[in-house]
Amino acid sequence: MSAFFVHKEAVTQWIRHLARSNTVYFPQRAGQSGFRFKPVKETTEIQFDRYQPTLAPPGKKLAPAEEPLFRYRKQGDAAPELVPILDQSPRILAGVRPCDLKGIHLMDRANREGHGDPHYLTRRTHTILIAHDCLQPCDDSCFCDAVGSLGWRDNADLFLTSLEDHILIEVRTGPGETLIQGMNFPVCTDVAAVKSRAEAQRAQPFGRQFHADLARIPAIIASQWQAPVWEKQVERCFSCGSCNLVCPTCYCFDVHDDFDLTDPNAGQRTRTWDGCMLPQFAEVAGGHNFRPNPAARQRHRVKRKFEYLTERFAEGSFCTGCGRCGRQCTTDIDIFNIVNDLIDHAEANS
Amino acid sequence: MKPKVAFFDFASCEGCQLAVLNCEDILLDILGLVDIVEFREAMSETAPRFDVAFIEGSINREQDAERLRDIRARSTYLVAMGACACIGNVQARSNFIAPAENFQRVYGVEDRNMVQTDPEFWPLWAHTRVRAVKEIVPVDFELRGCPLVPEEFVHLVKALVTGATPRFSTQAVCVECKMNENECVYDQGETCMGQITRGGCKAICITNGYRCDGCRGILPHANLAAHHGLLQSKGLSEPQITNRYRLFCSAESLGRVGRTGHDK
Repeated sequence: MSAFFVHKEAVTQWIRHLARSNTVYFPQRAGQSGFRFKPVKETTEIQFDRYQPTLAPPGKKLAPAEEPLFRYRKQGDAAPELVPILDQSPRILAGVRPCDLKGIHLMDRANREGHGDPHYLTRRTHTILIAHDCLQPCDDSCFCDAVGSLGWRDNADLFLTSLEDHILIEVRTGPGETLIQGMNFPVCTDVAAVKSRAEAQRAQPFGRQFHADLARIPAIIASQWQAPVWEKQVERCFSCGSCNLVCPTCYCFDVHDDFDLTDPNAGQRTRTWDGCMLPQFAEVAGGHNFRPNPAARQRHRVKRKFEYLTERFAEGSFCTGCGRCGRQCTTDIDIFNIVNDLIDHAEANS
Repeated sequence: MKPKVAFFDFASCEGCQLAVLNCEDILLDILGLVDIVEFREAMSETAPRFDVAFIEGSINREQDAERLRDIRARSTYLVAMGACACIGNVQARSNFIAPAENFQRVYGVEDRNMVQTDPEFWPLWAHTRVRAVKEIVPVDFELRGCPLVPEEFVHLVKALVTGATPRFSTQAVCVECKMNENECVYDQGETCMGQITRGGCKAICITNGYRCDGCRGILPHANLAAHHGLLQSKGLSEPQITNRYRLFCSAESLGRVGRTGHDK
């Protein structure tokens, strides 16, 4: 597919141009330390260089915190009438970093499995992804290279790489192509040369690294069911679920029905985010809780990211290394440290 | 027949009743589901029996406790409404001060002594502890918060008229705070009670630029040791920490936090 080498100022104008006729989300500064993916307006500052992972990952735009699933109405003995609610509004997620791009890829895998989730998949079908490569780690929390997210581009419609005051735009899909049409951007004649110049600027090593190869980690974690690491790592845990809720690959939810005040036979089913670190997550009818203590919940969470889901979907890791869970934990419980502690414990006891 | 519903207020600002009346756009729809038979904030009629009694306020005097027992005896369901009824609220801070000292602070030495010397003043001694409603009578449901959350009130009314089990959050405030994509209060250089406080409020204070002070009470599973350590590490003194814990959760937190703390 085609590629263009465009001055940053022109790329900024292009994003603004897209935002005039589309809903374009772009990471924008929020508060003192964070960024949020918010719709681009005429006054929005668009810049590609200063970035920290957003408070919530961009993939959550495809699975919002609270969303209506369907309306229902029951009349007499007839089967209830159900009307699904599907969000077909088109959107562009721009400035998505490789870790979050991979997060969306993993969300796609999970939501396409089995019957598929029509609510997620409808939004996904109407979403175009403009990704942007990272040449430096975002901060001390990031470990994307250790889990194979660095440079991830598979599901990008357009993939951008900054090189000094220019940006290489690689077109990867038909929908991506349509966004470029009519822009008359200068064609990049030697993509490989530009990319190797950019690669040369990449930090080495790139962010934090595990004490073992990623390929060995699922087996190591599987061998550490009774490791003291689990207890030690939750001494400061509040079971507040923040680590789940900011994770780009956590997709668990709860549902509830709510009838209309004006007609108790009609109403709506809604789903909201849930998380396996929350105490009631594994509670079932009768009151039994399969994971009543924080250590058991933490173990489950880590095994989902590095063992269960990686095996089920044959992916290297269901953790994208974005670092959000550790960065946003008020007592600094970091999944990166948990995994390293497990590796160390396994080595010491082998 | 529509369920008979009544509202009663004890020691409170009546802000929770006001919050109910503020559901203006759907109030008429609610009145289609229930008959309100007693509601001092809104009407003057009274009734002998109630299907649901909403109790606002903490119980500060023995005569209030008697009145509450009478309401309980005449009600099928009893709902504690708001932080005062559920956990004592700010007035329960007086529980941490000796009664004589408390009287002196408010009324001066002379009147404090009257409580001891004048039989007319003796009943005031019964006011030695501010109590939550559940300390006196069984409570079927709690609408927490200062003030209550109108959506939770409507949810409970709907559940009661259909016989469904109402859902109330037993998760930390952080859950809804993250759903709102708020920047964490700790990342703004402040401290917060959100991690140990019951949610259900949509993290309204943090979303509007403040912090959580814990008006919905402390979670049953709260990791208080970790939270206390965290506040210490952020430079808060022991008295400051105790004040934070006791601001709203006074009655509830007694014996759980700040036993050795100060309350000046």
